Amino acid sequence: MTTKPKRPWPVEPVLDMADIQGIAVPGFFKPHQVLLGLLYQRTPERLEALLGFLRDLTPQVSSAAVTLRDRRDFRSGARKTRTKRFPLIAIGFSFHGLFDLTPGADAIPSPAFKNGLARRSALLGDPTDPKSPGHPNNWRVGGPTTELDILIIVAGDTKAAAAACAAKLEKALKAIKVRVVREVGGVRTDVPGEKGHEHFGFDDGVSQPGIRGRASNDPRDFITPRHVDRSEFPAAAMFGYAGQDLVWPGEFVIGYPQTGPDPLIPGPELAATPSWTRNGSFLVYRRLRQDVGLFWRTMRAQAKRLSRLPGFEGLYDVELAAKLVGRWPSGAPLSRTPTKDIDKLGHDKLSNNHFRFDSDTPRLKLVDGKDSFELAKADPIGAACPLASHIRKVNTRDAPSDTGARSSTYERRILRVGVPFGPSAKDRYAKSRPGKPDRGLLFLGIQSSIEEQFEFLQARWMNDDSRPKAPSGHDMIVGQNSPTADGTRRCVLFGAGLAQAEVEAADQFVTPTGGGYFFVPSISALTTVIAPSSPRAAK
Amino acid sequence: MSLLGTYDPPAQMSDYDSIPGQRQAWHRFVQESFDYNIGQVRKKLRPLKGSKPQFYSATSLDPDGALIEQAVIWNAFPKELLRRYGRARALVEADSLWPLSAYFYDWRYDPDVPADTGADPDGTGLPDTYFYRPTVEYCEWHVDRDAASGRIDRVTFTSEPPEYWIAMFGGKQDGSKVDFPGDPQLALDLYRKLVNPAVEMADLLVKTPFTSPFGALKPGDYNPHNKWNTTHGIAHLSAPPNALTAEINLAAVATVLYEDAAGTPTVDPDAFIAGTDMGGPNRNSDPTIASTVNVLARSGAMITLANPVGLYMDHIDLAGWEVPGGQSAKDWVRVVRGQERLIERLVVGSPTDEFDVSDIRIGGLPVAFGGQIAECITVKLVGVAAALNSVKNGRLKLPSAGFVDPANAREVFGRRGRPTGTVQAFAYESDEVAQKTLAQRRSFSANAKRWTR
Repeated sequence: MTTKPKRPWPVEPVLDMADIQGIAVPGFFKPHQVLLGLLYQRTPERLEALLGFLRDLTPQVSSAAVTLRDRRDFRSGARKTRTKRFPLIAIGFSFHGLFDLTPGADAIPSPAFKNGLARRSALLGDPTDPKSPGHPNNWRVGGPTTELDILIIVAGDTKAAAAACAAKLEKALKAIKVRVVREVGGVRTDVPGEKGHEHFGFDDGVSQPGIRGRASNDPRDFITPRHVDRSEFPAAAMFGYAGQDLVWPGEFVIGYPQTGPDPLIPGPELAATPSWTRNGSFLVYRRLRQDVGLFWRTMRAQAKRLSRLPGFEGLYDVELAAKLVGRWPSGAPLSRTPTKDIDKLGHDKLSNNHFRFDSDTPRLKLVDGKDSFELAKADPIGAACPLASHIRKVNTRDAPSDTGARSSTYERRILRVGVPFGPSAKDRYAKSRPGKPDRGLLFLGIQSSIEEQFEFLQARWMNDDSRPKAPSGHDMIVGQNSPTADGTRRCVLFGAGLAQAEVEAADQFVTPTGGGYFFVPSISALTTVIAPSSPRAAK
Repeated sequence: MSLLGTYDPPAQMSDYDSIPGQRQAWHRFVQESFDYNIGQVRKKLRPLKGSKPQFYSATSLDPDGALIEQAVIWNAFPKELLRRYGRARALVEADSLWPLSAYFYDWRYDPDVPADTGADPDGTGLPDTYFYRPTVEYCEWHVDRDAASGRIDRVTFTSEPPEYWIAMFGGKQDGSKVDFPGDPQLALDLYRKLVNPAVEMADLLVKTPFTSPFGALKPGDYNPHNKWNTTHGIAHLSAPPNALTAEINLAAVATVLYEDAAGTPTVDPDAFIAGTDMGGPNRNSDPTIASTVNVLARSGAMITLANPVGLYMDHIDLAGWEVPGGQSAKDWVRVVRGQERLIERLVVGSPTDEFDVSDIRIGGLPVAFGGQIAECITVKLVGVAAALNSVKNGRLKLPSAGFVDPANAREVFGRRGRPTGTVQAFAYESDEVAQKTLAQRRSFSANAKRWTR
């Protein structure tokens, strides 16, 4: 007699939704954001005034519970409720900003956080020539003399709502003589067909990881909704949307289990050091300027050159750009549609993330629809989706990497919650002076370890010509030129008949122009440690 | 294309050129290892009618079609230590030596209690008095420190296989029929040149017999664990799994295809390495090597290792390095043996007497351990895939799976026993899912209670 195997469904932890900030769990995914970078003065009076501001602000900081409810309202179509809601607010502290309020911050075991983004800039491959616009000395915000102490993020459903909320905060901050550096970003809506796309024209944020965990003791109250039918085991236990990896919450929030060798068995808990960092996260803010004209002119020139080579006949700029991104502008993955963009696939969340790299992707039964598009075939050498494409550089999916097997990719995932800034380019090939007009991405990434996640991805994978998997090349989109041997990024592409050719770029399409590393404390840490509601005992 | 004539020494190193017959013997040695492992694969495939080995030697087979060179790369810093201890402690251990007797059951070994090596109660036969580096990513290093200040003078990295050096001393290696002519004096000269002028021949030879991972060593044999290759310096790899023959074996057996109880192909790299027991599942290297090979094998390719077969450092990433005195970080790195992107020996040290390695900062942090530099080094081997889609082999049932601690799943156990209380990992990928999940579910329930407040 045979018995049906019992399936080892993971039991997922309940997260402290009232205490974790909503920007970390489930993440702010609102279309408009205002970032307020604060630089405060260290006199006793000013510090006391700042603490007063923080005490007033804390009740307005959006918890994970509030943010999840907001998102569920949005998804259920309760738009009336949604528009009445106050914009979401988050707050993070740089090391110096935190230390001068809470000296115990010195015990936070993160060299990256304590050194700050500007001092880690060279490690990230940023320009080391002080004359270069990407050198920290020339950053608009967060350079050696303009390091932010605090970052407040206001996220709204409308530009006006976010701006109004931010203006109120700014007014209060100016009243207490806190210097504020404001950045305004939002989903691009001024180019037809590119809503939600970054400035180069590609849909962004398609493959966010899913946070594994529950919002309450209800066994089905998952923070990340499940879309794969439970008859599909283990896929139903691995994914939110098909292909959306469920990652143990300790990769995003301190105090929870992290990745272990088996994706369905929780790894070790990430210890909170000091204890008040529990339910906290780290936020990386990078202000990245994008040179749209340079990018598309390079694509056009390189595609023209390659199209004369055997195996690359007919290659055109959008196709080349798609190979370097790993997705078509619509978001449709090359792994599923190697030769042409399919808008419907790009927009279909049930399908646009469902693909493997190293093995044939199986069709899955879904709970709320069907995935009827062509499935991805195994592509271990990168014939369809190049090994150097951005999406393969930052997420190896089922493939192994220089850090071992599949579990190593979960350890690197970050939750990206940023938005573009600046006006769209009217002519994508046009030449313009650098930064005129200023446009790009306000990159915001949530993680539990800056060193092992954001810095690892940027320094070890994107900037390297062979990692995570060779033979690949640099990440041509976001990779930086400084770490390369001769200041030029290169990668290898396959054409028809496995013909190979190299693409190169001597100039950078993306230039860092600011940012910072921040700790996003729990709401209880705000109220009891950083800005306690009762006056502190005299020192 | 044509058949390969001979297998050359790693990175085409020229040491053997002065020893009559040595290069030829090296070729026979590598060929013997290929032949043996092809035979092993053939044995494994016996239950699968019509299946044939997908691993081949380029000296005896020239598959049709384009050859795809596939470098397999991994980070030099040992992931086993990272998983077990976390980075802070791993940096300490990676610069340390562990007793050989701890090797087979290293998860029982507590470096804080070095007298208790955790060796199997019956004894592993490996001695307490010789040492190995727990840096099992086919790259090892030695840190030279100033005795008075503790500051780092230089760090020397090697990926030279032990077999290459054992062969230099002449004779037969464990399990091999190939008799190397050898030249012990040449080996001594190299030790003096590379490691320390004070090296004496007697230092390098076995005095009393002992069992080594490289075989039963008798007096007069070359001792790969000699002090100039362990406590006092480094000439070549000597940790038990860091061997060229291990590389060939892994590349060969990883071509065998597996499936779960329901007949679904095993594709998860973690489950594959843990279930087949063919290497260290907690390493950067072995899962990557095995899985990369297996993926190509699943594509119906024939697979081999590129000549010269070797283990190499591919490059060192100097991004974020700050060195004093207005120098370039590149000036602090010397490739001593091998060639570009096939590096066998690399030394990091100050080009002037004014500074030392402790003056280097990486990402703003001073270098306090050799492991910080190892984190910047990429190691590799080079495989070749040919005749894609030409082979349609059957699949064996995945024989096993690893085990993890359900309350603290840091590492996979299995290959060398497992601690009490561990449960089966990757149950969904193996042939045993029906039998082995009950205990796991109990553990999950325990965790659930803990997390639910």
